[in-house]
Amino acid sequence: MWDQVKQALNQSTTKFLTELAHLLPGVVALIVALLISFVLAWILAIVVRRLLTGIHFDERLSHWGFASLSEWSPMHSPTRLVSRTVACIVILSGFLIGVAAFDAESTSLLVRSVFAYVPNIVGAILVLLVGSIVASFLARSVLIGGVNLNLHYARLLSLGVKWLVLVLSVAMALEHLKIAPGIVDLAFGILFGGIVLTLVLAVGLNSRELVTKSLERDTKESSGEHVEEPFRHV
Amino acid sequence: MEVDSIPQQPQEKTAQIDSADFVVGIFADLGQDGVKMLCEGLRSLHGSPRIVVLQRDPVGGAGAANLQSVQEESSLSFLPWSAAGPDPLGAPTQSISIACQSLFALTEKLGARACCFVASEMESATPQWVCELLQPFVESDFDLAAPYYTARMFQGLLNNSIVYPLTRCLYGKRIHNPFGPDVGVSRRLAQKVLSANRNNNGGSSQTHPLALLATVAACENLQICQVHVGARVYPPTDWTNMSSLIAQVMGPIFLEMERCAACWQRTRGSVIVPARGERQPLSEETGTLDLNRMDETFRLGVRDLQEIWSLVLPPATLFELRKLSRSAPEQVHMPDELWARIVYDFALAHRLRTINRDHLLRSMTPLYLAWVVSYAREIVAAGAASVEQRIERLALAYEAAKPYLISRWRWPDRFNP
Repeated sequence: MWDQVKQALNQSTTKFLTELAHLLPGVVALIVALLISFVLAWILAIVVRRLLTGIHFDERLSHWGFASLSEWSPMHSPTRLVSRTVACIVILSGFLIGVAAFDAESTSLLVRSVFAYVPNIVGAILVLLVGSIVASFLARSVLIGGVNLNLHYARLLSLGVKWLVLVLSVAMALEHLKIAPGIVDLAFGILFGGIVLTLVLAVGLNSRELVTKSLERDTKESSGEHVEEPFRHV
Repeated sequence: MEVDSIPQQPQEKTAQIDSADFVVGIFADLGQDGVKMLCEGLRSLHGSPRIVVLQRDPVGGAGAANLQSVQEESSLSFLPWSAAGPDPLGAPTQSISIACQSLFALTEKLGARACCFVASEMESATPQWVCELLQPFVESDFDLAAPYYTARMFQGLLNNSIVYPLTRCLYGKRIHNPFGPDVGVSRRLAQKVLSANRNNNGGSSQTHPLALLATVAACENLQICQVHVGARVYPPTDWTNMSSLIAQVMGPIFLEMERCAACWQRTRGSVIVPARGERQPLSEETGTLDLNRMDETFRLGVRDLQEIWSLVLPPATLFELRKLSRSAPEQVHMPDELWARIVYDFALAHRLRTINRDHLLRSMTPLYLAWVVSYAREIVAAGAASVEQRIERLALAYEAAKPYLISRWRWPDRFNP
């Protein structure tokens, strides 16, 4: 019986070592691929950063009307954002090459599905990017317009508009990523409706004074109390 | 604008008119009596020059038909001015711009000595007031006859606070109403303005021709004079559209600053521009001053627009503004030096496109209103007679702060006090 146990142990050890030896080149290839991709990413990031700094990318970007991009870039520098994105893509590619080196059916399936998912990720990132820019632009427009119209709730309105657009773009991005579409739809509806309701209530309650003043002015004008103010600007 | 772009109907009629001495464009809605009075004045011009009158006709030709008796005058020819029709988008400066360009193009085509743009009604219109604008071209070799409206306490505030002092400080000529809008322009200047606009077409935006007049004339050392034309009737203030108005006026000025940077950086000090005609006496204005609304807008701006202003204004200016917003409403006083620096900082931000240009110009509204509040309190205390002195003091502050503008313009990153 002891011989049988010994044989079984030998067999399992041999099997394990054989499979390990079979996997080892793949693991080494993964590590090598990762190491190379790290080095390549580092070099590429430096090259891209220097190149973009050389052409004053940050300034040009704000000239082209994408100043809001710097708000959510690392260290408020879109150059760093681009260089780090390039580095991340190179490292991810290295990882996928390394995984593919296992040459197993499952890993190639994983690689294929990851690559098939890439367009969704790119689409979602684009939607988020455009959403963020539009949200900032509209928020600023509403804030300036509100202040110039003497609305005391201008900031609230601006925040409301910003979050409406952001929630919409996040929901669209998640839809692109196909992450729990049912829940996303429901959550989006609740959030969007909630923000609109909050804004309506806030503006409505704040507007009471405004409406009262407007009615008072109308009453004065109809009773002939209208007084012309003398300011002429242009 | 090319001559080809003169609207079809005038083009057919201009084919019959091969030349003229002067072209007068009546953009203002003067009514039939007003136009007749103006024609009387034009007939009295020395030497009976041939004059083409472009008239905006909002009632679809009826006005022109009623002027038949005037048209029979051999020295006057009338043309309908469809290019000066009401702007469908409701932007008056845009329609004035189109009208001006078509007037200049016609002046060039007819080889006229000069043209005159009539865009305002006068408080006490006389037949002579438009002739006064043409007289400098009849008698001498001037290139620009800018209007010198009688100063009023609370009228032309945007001109008094920014347009006049900034133009004077930048280009060294004391033209009190550099933007007109009622101006006399020689053919030479009209050609230069048209060609400057053509060159600008390659750029991002086209400058308003009225904004180009004073700058082109000053930078090219052309002959400029001012004409006392009396008190202008200003359109009433539309408070809901205040920021659009500021953006429409300030945008062209800042664009011109960018275009003429080499010229204004060389200019030091300013010289008086000769004025013709008789100056009308100042009169006290009536009306109830309500400064609360403007004061509130300024305080709201300090509270809510900090994040935008902090991208444009240096910390010292922001600190001053916060201090100003904490003072009691009746004590709001914006120093001239602070106001001049604010205008310069906005000009720089416009050039650098620190934020969207429309946002930038509109965000200036609360600051401008703070200046109006401060100015109104001072003028009410000092009386109507002090208006010109007050504006002169402001213009001197702009001139004193010019080195600050030049430093920031040349080294925007390094020089940030």
